[in-house]
Amino acid sequence: MLASHPFAASSAPFTLSILIWLPLALALIVNALPTKYVGRGAALASLLPVAVAITFVANFNSHNPGLQFVTDKVWISALGIHYKLGINGLNVALVLLTTVLFTVSLAWSAVREVDRPHTYYFWFGLAESAVLGAFLAQDLILFVAFFDLMLIPFYFLVGSWGSGDRVRATIKMVIYTMVGSFLMLAAAIATGVIASGDHGTGINFSFSALQHLPLSRTDEDWIFLAFALAFLVKMPIAPFHGWLADAYKAMPIPAVAVFSGVVAKVASYGFLQIVLPLFPHAAHHYQVLMLIIALVSILWATAMAFTTDDARLVIAYSSVAQMGFILLGIFSLTPQGGQGALLQMINHGVVTAASFFVVAAAAARAGGSEKLADMGGIAFKAPVLATLFLIVTFANLAMPGSSNFIGEFMILLGTFDSHIVIALIASVAVVGAAFYALRLFIRAMHNRVGGRVRSFEVTRNEAIAIVPLCLIILALAFYPQFGLGKSQASLDVAVLPAAALGGHVDMSQYATLAAAAEGRSIHPPISEVSYGAKQKPRRVYTDRKTATHRKAVHS
Amino acid sequence: MALGWYLAVSVLIFCIGSGGVLVRRNPLVILLCLELMLNAGNLALVTFARMHGGEAGQIFALIVMVVAACEVTVGLGLIVAISRRNLPIDVDELHELNG
Amino acid sequence: MSPTTWGWLVLLFPLLGTITIGLGFRTYSRAAGVIGTAAIGLAFVCAVGALISLLGRSGAHREVVSSLWNYDVSGGVDAGFQILVDPISVFMMLVVTGVSTLIHLYSTAYMRSDEGYSRYFAYLNYFVLSMLILVLGGNFVMLIIGWAFVGAASYLLISFWYRRSSATGAGIKAFVINVLGDVGLVLGTFFIFRHTHTVSFLGSFAAAPHVFHNDSTDLVAGCLLFLVGAFAKSAQVPLHTWLPDAMEGPTPVSSLIHAATMVTAGVYLIVRLHPLFQLAPTAGEVGAIIGCATLLIAGTIALVVTDIKRVIAYSTMSQIGYMIMGASAGAYSAALFHLMTHAFFKALLFMAAGSIIGAMAGSQSLDRMSGFRKAMPFTFACFIVGGLALSGIPPFSGWLSKDDIIAYLNNRGGVYEVLGILGYVGALLTGLYTFRMIFRAFFGDPSPEAVELEHGHIAHAEVPTNPANGEVEDTEVGFPGPEHVIAEREPAMKVAMGLLALAAVVGGFLQLPGVDHVIQNFLSTSLSDAPLASAAHEPSSSSAWAGLIIGAVIGLVGITMAYGVWVRRPGTAAKFQAALPWLHDFLVNKWYFDEAIDLVVVRPALAIGRFAQSVLERIVISGGVTGGVTGVVRSGSAAVRRAQTGVLRFYAAAVILGLSAVVLYFLISST
Repeated sequence: MLASHPFAASSAPFTLSILIWLPLALALIVNALPTKYVGRGAALASLLPVAVAITFVANFNSHNPGLQFVTDKVWISALGIHYKLGINGLNVALVLLTTVLFTVSLAWSAVREVDRPHTYYFWFGLAESAVLGAFLAQDLILFVAFFDLMLIPFYFLVGSWGSGDRVRATIKMVIYTMVGSFLMLAAAIATGVIASGDHGTGINFSFSALQHLPLSRTDEDWIFLAFALAFLVKMPIAPFHGWLADAYKAMPIPAVAVFSGVVAKVASYGFLQIVLPLFPHAAHHYQVLMLIIALVSILWATAMAFTTDDARLVIAYSSVAQMGFILLGIFSLTPQGGQGALLQMINHGVVTAASFFVVAAAAARAGGSEKLADMGGIAFKAPVLATLFLIVTFANLAMPGSSNFIGEFMILLGTFDSHIVIALIASVAVVGAAFYALRLFIRAMHNRVGGRVRSFEVTRNEAIAIVPLCLIILALAFYPQFGLGKSQASLDVAVLPAAALGGHVDMSQYATLAAAAEGRSIHPPISEVSYGAKQKPRRVYTDRKTATHRKAVHS
Repeated sequence: MALGWYLAVSVLIFCIGSGGVLVRRNPLVILLCLELMLNAGNLALVTFARMHGGEAGQIFALIVMVVAACEVTVGLGLIVAISRRNLPIDVDELHELNG
Repeated sequence: MSPTTWGWLVLLFPLLGTITIGLGFRTYSRAAGVIGTAAIGLAFVCAVGALISLLGRSGAHREVVSSLWNYDVSGGVDAGFQILVDPISVFMMLVVTGVSTLIHLYSTAYMRSDEGYSRYFAYLNYFVLSMLILVLGGNFVMLIIGWAFVGAASYLLISFWYRRSSATGAGIKAFVINVLGDVGLVLGTFFIFRHTHTVSFLGSFAAAPHVFHNDSTDLVAGCLLFLVGAFAKSAQVPLHTWLPDAMEGPTPVSSLIHAATMVTAGVYLIVRLHPLFQLAPTAGEVGAIIGCATLLIAGTIALVVTDIKRVIAYSTMSQIGYMIMGASAGAYSAALFHLMTHAFFKALLFMAAGSIIGAMAGSQSLDRMSGFRKAMPFTFACFIVGGLALSGIPPFSGWLSKDDIIAYLNNRGGVYEVLGILGYVGALLTGLYTFRMIFRAFFGDPSPEAVELEHGHIAHAEVPTNPANGEVEDTEVGFPGPEHVIAEREPAMKVAMGLLALAAVVGGFLQLPGVDHVIQNFLSTSLSDAPLASAAHEPSSSSAWAGLIIGAVIGLVGITMAYGVWVRRPGTAAKFQAALPWLHDFLVNKWYFDEAIDLVVVRPALAIGRFAQSVLERIVISGGVTGGVTGVVRSGSAAVRRAQTGVLRFYAAAVILGLSAVVLYFLISST
């Protein structure tokens, strides 16, 4: 079937709505259990969304660049807002990652004492639903709604179950990211309203519809900046990362694992799914600015990571640096860079979560302290833990042979093609990453035994979260193509409009893909003119090329 | 008959009521003044109903009376609760709910 | 079986060894050594299988590629999980697995009393796996993976005794410098990929002559970046400072990784990428000059170092300088020939040094060793064989291989002839420092430890201390174990050293000018596309023999000088020191490379980091940007909040005023 219809629509036994709302529903059901069992119940129940996500990944057709498993219902008809969900190559792996990370985090919580477990697991369920919704939403307003919904559970998780100066940290995080969110809400509304006004159509917020309604250059520019600011704060990217250190220090470990692992990825995913396809001119216009911000973020966070004395903050800053790399890949505006960025989102999600759990395990042996000075010499009585820590460390510093390396390789390759100097400077940071990641490992596990250290082998309570993640890291290391293969077709469609403005991309190839993405593979392709022409936003069709492309599609 | 006079009375009563709400500090009196304002409104409603020849205004007036009765019940209940706790019966003293 | 099947098997056995030993670390005690050695031995057998299978094919069909699955295929990159079996990789496989098998065998005895016996063999198997990925990789991505894996294995083994701060420090230093090399490789690959649009070796090599003209900028940039990788891995100046520190690892590790195999990867890289270097003669010249500089600098430092392992380490740097010089100039088969013979005799020297360190109760200082000749006759014989081969004395292997390189350089002329002559200066230094080490350790009056050994006891320190910095050892892990083991008494060590000594003697006869050219002929398939390796550039047999005689004479002169200075008139060295104190200081401080790097790179980076951490991050980012935004929001909300007085009558007034305003507005606007 695939051979005859390369872009054949796929079907799955579930709808995407089930996937989104299942975690919340399960959290409510689990709430009926007695206090003793609620944690285990939540962890076991969270395997269900994983299974559902796997059916979607298994049924996903990698050759089809367009949306699959689409759900499209009118939500608020007067405002043109749709409840539209769909999977394409950009979010398919991230959805699976989300369900897996939540399961692992819930497992970590389930084997520990948690205060007020009913509410705790309810917030986790809501958080999972919100994150899945944000990944799957194909309507701007729906996306913004889920994007802000994500913040609510974390407000409570940090504020009630956090440690240290949690109230201040919560308020700082919420206010700061909300400012970005409001900018985005304004920009989202403006996009729909202005686009429909310019083209005289009814208001519509779905991504695919907006792609056909290009904005004027000035509108595109300010809307781009508003979206970019919201996403940069959320990722976070230096210098917008001021909330990070306090919030990550205050969050409970399972919460910080999912926050850094997937919630932050929603923002970088937003760049690929929304910003590049909808605002290609602005993306091209601000490319150098964004690349420089990414570069500053990488270097800045690297410098922070190798001077901080707090194990958890080393991981926190290293994730800022990694997000810098992801941003670099996205704004290289090349297919390679985008592929690398997407792969790196998955890798970093797994690795950063594993890192936080490992640091928690090390802290448990250092009298509860996360200071590097209190650790040391843990490896001797905990060889298995040391090995797991080592795997995580090597993946975190993107050692060749890990999937993270392939991610960085593709990102740097894309950047190298578009802005060689930035790629050369960014690669220096790779050396810095080797230093801080290994420093963390050595200071925690090696050297003389620290004063407060009482080391013991990795326990079942710790292994339940760390081992599965390490296995995923190893599996991805052997087969990074898992992440690359599914996304290529969709990614090309997302990146190429902006890339074409840079000048050296074969647009004929794009035309075929874009046509396929909209499920009209026999329609004529878009000519190059439509992307360069500013005064003529409507698409221009050329019949001359049609015949050859039709052949290309069916061969 | 000129309906304007009815309206003039309504405005007068309304002003007396609102003046009372603004200057008095005893919640009981404030409630009484509120009743005055509501009844001023009722008078205006009935007047306009008469003026336009429809019965909608009269029905509205009846509904307002019902609401006013409920409101008085709740208000008096609150006052009783306040006095039971030996709190001052003075709206200026009861300002804990500030920003 | 096809050569690639053998190739995959060669990779499989060390992988199985690593996994088996790693997973069963609690169960196995002594078995780990046997499993590890057997795994590498089987890999060697498979490498021989690959050799036979390859020899069964005609010349043109000796480059075989096999890919198991798509590793990174997207956006134009076409990297499979791929190996390339050709004469170069088979040659490297044989050297790596052969020497590794012997060193594993030696380790089974040497590490017997160590707490981390299983861990040691798991790491060592992992290292061999990595090294084999490096030499077998069929594209740049696989090469880089192997390249980084050996760096990681090297880190793990340098930091093997991880309670020693000196060991963890040396480990991180080696790792970070090696990552710098990885970055060089990655960026170099980008430069090549930009034009050839493929990362596979054979594809790039086929495309290179068509897309690059001679010495084109991108190609030279790419090749120079590859050289950065090669220099970092092969410890060439200025990226060499990690190698002497790497001697913190167990001695068999120094023997395997930091002498015989991993550090020669840079040479392999240049030979592997020769079709690119052929087109970038400028890069070749840079490589040759750096190689030559390293060989001289390391040779001079080796003259004054008193740590016996570090003497051999600097000697390794110096010998790799020869290889890099030769490979960069185009003497590919000669460089690989020297790589092989060097692996034999340098591994042998390290093993012998391990034996003597055991006899010294862990001390590595030449100042304390003396007169071990009678106490350790076997070790002494191995040292002599290794030393003579290193110094290039006929008929030992180093003589033939090193002078092969120099003869090629002299034949090529130009700047290379100058380098060739400097190579002879290096040969003089080699003879001098090698025999300084041997004379100081084995001649003269026996030291107390040697006397004890003659009576049958092995010296044993009461309080074990770290020889590098004098710290008292943490005996849980940071300590080689209470029973010292020396070659004189251990059959496993004796067998390993004996076989290597044999190879060090006869290994050179594989390639005698005018008589046989086994290695050159075998490699000719891979090198057929290299004009520099053609017969026109090879020296004639007569000039080669003339070079051999000159080299032998120079080596002998060096040994004689050493004999004069350290045996006949023992005070001479001290007199030199007194006469030229600045020179001595300069050499003892290793030309101040560590200090310079510290001053230029490490300190500024740390200072910037600390400043950024304490000032910019706290005040500007956390306080200014984030605090500013949250501050604006909070003060805005505070202002609005003030309206919420809690006074009921205030609200009532507000409602009425607002209502009146609305009514007024409509009244005015309606008129």
